[in-house]
Amino acid sequence: MSDAPDVAGDATRSIALWDLPVRLVHWSFVVLMPALWWTAEKGNIKLHVTIGLIMLGLVLFRLVWGLVGSSTARFAGFVRGPASIRAYIASARAGTAEHVVGHNPLGALSVLGLLGLLTLQVGLGTIAQDTDAVASGPLNHLVSYDTAVAASKAHELVFNLILALIVLHIAAILFYRFVKQEKLVAAMITGRKWVPAGITAPRMAPLWRGLVVAVIAAVVAVWISWGVPPWGARWPWDKPPPVEGLSEDSYM
Amino acid sequence: MKTVKLAAIAALILPATAMVAIAAAPADVIKARQDNFKIMGKAMKGTMDEFKLPSPNPAVVKANANALAAAAVKVKGGFPKGTGAETGVKTDALPVIWQKPADFKAADAKMAAAAKAFQAAANTGDLAKMQAAAGAVGQTCKGCHDTFRKPRS
Ligand code: HEC
Ligand code: HEM
Repeated sequence: MSDAPDVAGDATRSIALWDLPVRLVHWSFVVLMPALWWTAEKGNIKLHVTIGLIMLGLVLFRLVWGLVGSSTARFAGFVRGPASIRAYIASARAGTAEHVVGHNPLGALSVLGLLGLLTLQVGLGTIAQDTDAVASGPLNHLVSYDTAVAASKAHELVFNLILALIVLHIAAILFYRFVKQEKLVAAMITGRKWVPAGITAPRMAPLWRGLVVAVIAAVVAVWISWGVPPWGARWPWDKPPPVEGLSEDSYM
Repeated sequence: MKTVKLAAIAALILPATAMVAIAAAPADVIKARQDNFKIMGKAMKGTMDEFKLPSPNPAVVKANANALAAAAVKVKGGFPKGTGAETGVKTDALPVIWQKPADFKAADAKMAAAAKAFQAAANTGDLAKMQAAAGAVGQTCKGCHDTFRKPRS
């Protein structure tokens, strides 16, 4: 959190690097991941699904923010092809890499991988079910029993992949901290970074835009939690019609 | 001559097939009980799906309740000694089933009773009653699984 320069020598000024939405979403992930693991481990699927839906909203927000957010949040701003990644690695090895504001081409892969897997994971979660098919995700009714069983297995597998990427992610941060002497964690908390003169500051999106996207993501998450009515589920304010005496022929 | 030949062949083949049958038995028993549980899982899912609908069809709930109740009484015979993980067959049945047979039987009886009660509730056509009874069944499934079935992962 210290404002001390973290780029050796030539850093002269501090710029806004990560906007508030990116930081809030990031640290929410950090808090929610263990909570999701713990609730699933304890078999408290109801609570797991509730927290999972918050996670789903956050992932949704981050995906949209990757299109309309600040320049350092946008996919178009940091996603690079294999050629650029190779070139970046070569220049980094040679020590001639240019100073990158935001994710460097290699780090972008980690961001994409984590976000992609999280998207897959929350999607699988919505149709997953516990073995007895009693506790299930809100969209479980839209798929067959066998699909739900397969999704539950995949949900378990993808979780392990996410864990592996998280380990890699933390290893990279430690590498930067102790080998390259860059404090990435501090920047993700304060949102600011010391840079050499001549670096153009990233363009920050206005906060109101973040609020609009947040509201949209929240509405979609709540709608999913209802089971995406009217497809196979009713709106929460619709009471099921009362069932009077059944006629014999309505039975099979 | 012909009968002697046939008898000789039969004498050779019969014990062989009997031995195969015995060797295959635990795997068959395990497969049969898992298939039976799958029927119960499908019935539970079918029931829960129906409850979410704008207008749940009591007939569908009833059909599922019947399928569940029919399968529920078959759980009992599915766990003879020697059909655990020690067989090398893939099973989630924990050894504790055979260490605490009384507890396991009690859990099974609870579920069978709840399934029967659900069937009765489904017959009333009263949605609230069906929902409560189905929820009660779910608790008994979970109750047994928490102790006697290997958790995933
Ligand atoms: C008395 C204990 C007990 C009760 C009660 C019980 N189960 Fe199970 N269940 C088990 C055991 C043990 C297994 C693991 C069987 C195996 O793998 O050999 C299992 C496995 C299952 C499976 C997985 C089958 C497979 O391999 O595909 C499903 C689905 C299932 N149970 C559903 C239910 C439902 C639904 C209920 C309630 C209506 C229920 N169970 C009640 C003990 C129980
Ligand atoms: C990134 C977010 C998520 C993570 C890390 C996560 C993690 C997990 C884990 C580790 C399990 C246990 C798997 C097992 O070993 O059996 C699980 C189960 C489950 N999760 Fe999630 N989950 C996430 C999101 C969601 C969401 C959004 C939903 C639903 C809206 C959901 C619904 C379920 C359900 C129904 C189960 C039970 C299925 C089972 O027993 O396998 N999850 N989750």
